[in-house]
Amino acid sequence: MAGSGNAHLRPPGEVVLRVEDLVVEFPAGRGRSVHAVSGVSFDVARGETLGIVGESGCGKSTTARALMQMPPPLRGSVRLDGLELTALRGEALRRTRRRLQMIFQDPISSLNPRRRVRDIVAEGPRVWGAGADRVDEMLTAVGLDPATAATRRPHEFSGGQCQRVSIARALVLDPEIVICDEPVSALDVSVQAQILALLEELKERYRLTLVFIAHDLAVVKNVSDRILVMYLGKVCELASGDALVERPAHPYTRALLASIPRGGLGLPPADQLISGEPPSPVTPPSGCRFRTRCPAATPLCAAEEPVMRRIGTDHWVACHHPQETGEILKPVEAPQVARAPEAAFPQPAEEAEDARVPKSPKVPKVPKVR
Amino acid sequence: MRRRLGWSFWLALGWITLILAAAATADLLPLPRYDETLVGPPQAGPGPDHPFGTDGLGRDVLSRVVYGARVSLIVGIGAVLLGVLFGAPLGVLAGYRRRATDAVIMGVNDIALAFPALVFALAVVAFAGASLLNVLIVLGVLGVPAWVRLVRGATMVFSEREFVAAARVLGARDRTVLWREVVPNVSLPVLSYAFIGMAVAIVAEGSLAFLGLSVQAPTPTWGGLINEGRPLMEDAPHVVLIPSFVMFLTVLAFNLIGDRLRALTDVRQSNLEPVRRRQADRLPARPHHVEEDVLLQVADLRTHFTTARGAVRAVDGVSFTLQRGRTLAIVGESGSGKSMLIRSVLGLTPEAGTRRGGRVYLDGQDLTELDDEQMRHILGTRMAAVFQDPMTALNPVRTIGTQVMEPLMVHLGMKRKAARARAAELLASVGIPEPARILRRYPHQLSGGMRQRVTIAMALSCGPDILFADEPTTALDVTVQDQVLRLIRRQREERHMAVVLVSHDLSVVAEWSDEVIVMYAGKVVERGPADSLFERTRMPYTEALLRAVPKLTDPAHHPLRLLPGRPPDLAHPPSGCAFHPRCPYARERCSQEEPPLFQAETLDHLYACWYPVGTGAGVVETSPELSGASGTAEALKAAEEAAELEEAAEAAEVVAEAAAELETTDVIEGADSRGR
Ligand SMILES: Nc1ncnc2c1ncn2[C@@H]1O[C@H](COP(=O)(O)OP(=O)(O)OP(=O)(O)O)[C@@H](O)[C@H]1O
Ligand code: SF4
Ligand code: SF4
Ligand SMILES: [Mg+2]
Repeated sequence: MAGSGNAHLRPPGEVVLRVEDLVVEFPAGRGRSVHAVSGVSFDVARGETLGIVGESGCGKSTTARALMQMPPPLRGSVRLDGLELTALRGEALRRTRRRLQMIFQDPISSLNPRRRVRDIVAEGPRVWGAGADRVDEMLTAVGLDPATAATRRPHEFSGGQCQRVSIARALVLDPEIVICDEPVSALDVSVQAQILALLEELKERYRLTLVFIAHDLAVVKNVSDRILVMYLGKVCELASGDALVERPAHPYTRALLASIPRGGLGLPPADQLISGEPPSPVTPPSGCRFRTRCPAATPLCAAEEPVMRRIGTDHWVACHHPQETGEILKPVEAPQVARAPEAAFPQPAEEAEDARVPKSPKVPKVPKVR
Repeated sequence: MRRRLGWSFWLALGWITLILAAAATADLLPLPRYDETLVGPPQAGPGPDHPFGTDGLGRDVLSRVVYGARVSLIVGIGAVLLGVLFGAPLGVLAGYRRRATDAVIMGVNDIALAFPALVFALAVVAFAGASLLNVLIVLGVLGVPAWVRLVRGATMVFSEREFVAAARVLGARDRTVLWREVVPNVSLPVLSYAFIGMAVAIVAEGSLAFLGLSVQAPTPTWGGLINEGRPLMEDAPHVVLIPSFVMFLTVLAFNLIGDRLRALTDVRQSNLEPVRRRQADRLPARPHHVEEDVLLQVADLRTHFTTARGAVRAVDGVSFTLQRGRTLAIVGESGSGKSMLIRSVLGLTPEAGTRRGGRVYLDGQDLTELDDEQMRHILGTRMAAVFQDPMTALNPVRTIGTQVMEPLMVHLGMKRKAARARAAELLASVGIPEPARILRRYPHQLSGGMRQRVTIAMALSCGPDILFADEPTTALDVTVQDQVLRLIRRQREERHMAVVLVSHDLSVVAEWSDEVIVMYAGKVVERGPADSLFERTRMPYTEALLRAVPKLTDPAHHPLRLLPGRPPDLAHPPSGCAFHPRCPYARERCSQEEPPLFQAETLDHLYACWYPVGTGAGVVETSPELSGASGTAEALKAAEEAAELEEAAEAAEVVAEAAAELETTDVIEGADSRGR
């Protein structure tokens, strides 16, 4: 059972969630199958946030659902505090599931359109015969007015508010782990910032452990302690956000960084970008699954699957030829604005100095007046 | 969702209510008994005593039709109830459980469907005796397989939805999930088909009765009446025609109601129907100059909705022009009117209660003057759109193939085979591996990125001049986003088309567009060439948006700069500058007067703000020591405006300051006032 190795896993005692060699396949007709997740391993320590990034269809959502046993993985192990979830069935599984909760990508479709918002949040306590006293507390905690929620249905709320409802619904059962599958990707930047801040705040307040799945590396980095990069059902790289962004070692991670729009700074380094088409998960490439698009691929990559190995403090990569230099990020930066005085925005103090010079030729440059 | 049902629906409902009421109260109505012979002369035509005439035995036809309705309705409603009673639970079970349960149920069901139904019905009724109960049971049972199939399909669609997964995550038992989450959503489509099913059952009963295999005489049934009247066809045609007509109307009414209810649940339709022009009130357009040599000109476009809360000004006086080969980006928070602006340009706004104003010129042709048919043609061939949620643009129950082929066959008149080949090419051109396989798939079997590529392929299929892309990459990750945007740009260059890109992602906008419009509360608050707008931002809202984006260079858990609050309710926008409740620079004037669009120092760069960022005008009061912040023309202009209307003291200060600046320089670089 080839996976990407388990060298990066910490001792079971240190972690709350330990996933080993997770395999999920879907039937694809004519006896073939979609290899959605093929041997993914990771772990999460209590109170930690693990970010998962990867390309569309790389199996992030499938992994998230496999953790919840919806559906259970084909093979592999998911252990919550040492309890093997894949072995649970029926009633025992149902009882355990509440300890893990999920927040979904689409704020609208994850709420039943025919029910009132407060009832949606109260559903968990109702299922478990618990009192509804935490319902209003949660609604308030996520910034909603319980009285309004009692009378309105989801379509009367904005996307950001619906996502707050989802968060309240997930937290009302006091879960240990919350799996967030793209919780902010359908939201506006302003609301995204609000929801991210809310998640961080609630994580502190309720001592949550988060698995945060998103496609936006900057967003993931903002909330995560460690980041796992996935490609086509496999793990590529695992590191802290800073290490990943400063010293990306896997060619795919580098491509990911290179594809981030850099706002008028010109095209990214072409050698880092990936072209070609993502291979079909029905017939994934032999050896390293990234080899068909990898700028650094060699014959070894087709013959042998790379396994996770350590290349730095808590920095792991599954690649035969990990890259050394980390020059990708340099030019990568979100567009900067003309800054108003700091005092105007009552905001955190530290902020990257903006040294860029506007490059429009239309405006003559003059020395700044003091 | 709340779409108008239309007068035909109400007419049909009225007819059915009438028939139902008549059948239910037949005994109380002042009618002769249906089996009483010689209540009038036999075979008499309609007249005052017998509005529907009499039959061969001199019985009152009206009475017989009314009593006949009893049988038809009992069979129609009863058979559907029976079918739903057995079919729906099986369908829900199959659709929700999938796998083995589904395979077994559907296996048996398919065999049942393959059975020659009518022959079976004839055999059973002939054998067991023709009674109301037997007919009802036979028709009910025959309907079960169709119900299983229908309910299973609907259940599958809703089981895909995330709220069902969410309920299971909460630990709800399957029973609870089904009953509370799935069933309420499935019931509307079931209801709509129930009406159609009733129509089918009524026709089936009529056929049986015609063959003499339904309820036996003397109890009248519509089919039986028609059968009995057959020999009199020449002498007294009304004996046949009247029950036929009543039956026809009833069947039609049931079908109509079912159809309208189904349209109500069809998301796709409700989203993309062009406006019926006569139903949209027109707001007067301000005078404007129709520009030549531009591909698209939008002049003072307005879309207001009349709602219970008042007039919602979703798009309020937006103007811009677009050249071939350029990309115009529209940014703003959700609810700022971005999508509605695009829909208004495309003429795809909802029809009821909409007031539209302004003009849209495509190559000088005023699109707001076109009728539905012409507009549909323009939409099919010259302007195409890709929307945010590929799932709503794709029909979940049709294969990707049929959906990609449809525009090719409709607008380009391609034959099926050619369309299939072209569809595969299109999918390949948008980077979909194994297009032939994907063509046979259903939307839910693809990942989000794939679905969006499919909708882009569909939009490009007829070679449009302008591609409108509404948040096309919002749900996608960067490598795919990069490829999709690259794809759009490449297509733009190859086809020499223009692109209108709606996005809330400013980094995307900054990289992929030539011009930018920032919208807030239905209005343009800043507009200009991308580099100027991002590097010399003037509008505080634009600045706040730029700052809310997490940056890769920030360390983990770095607190984000929050833009507090939410966009305003467009039914009650704040007074003055609509951004003032959230604006860190707001001063008294902001809540009183609405700022017009000022010209910034860069050509074509406009902004609506009294105290623009980076010019000094915005910081005068808060940081008097920053008097070095260079003044610009617009600061002066703002100050002049202020002088007219506000307290002289404040204005004088601003003017003096602005004047002082003009001596030193007329430009600021990035206005990095913070650095001072
Ligand atoms: N029900 C299903 N039947 C067949 N294939 C499926 C099914 N669900 C998912 N897949 C396939 O499994 C793979 C992984 O899908 P998944 O939804 O987990 O990706 P993802 O990383 O979440 O993508 P996205 O970011 O686009 O949502 C894809 O190839 C997808 O097409
Ligand atoms: S193993 Fe080879 S193909 Fe795979 S990422 Fe590394 S260099 Fe590229
Ligand atoms: S006009 Fe006033 S409230 Fe509006 S953006 Fe400018 S400073 Fe802020
Ligand atoms: Mg996903």
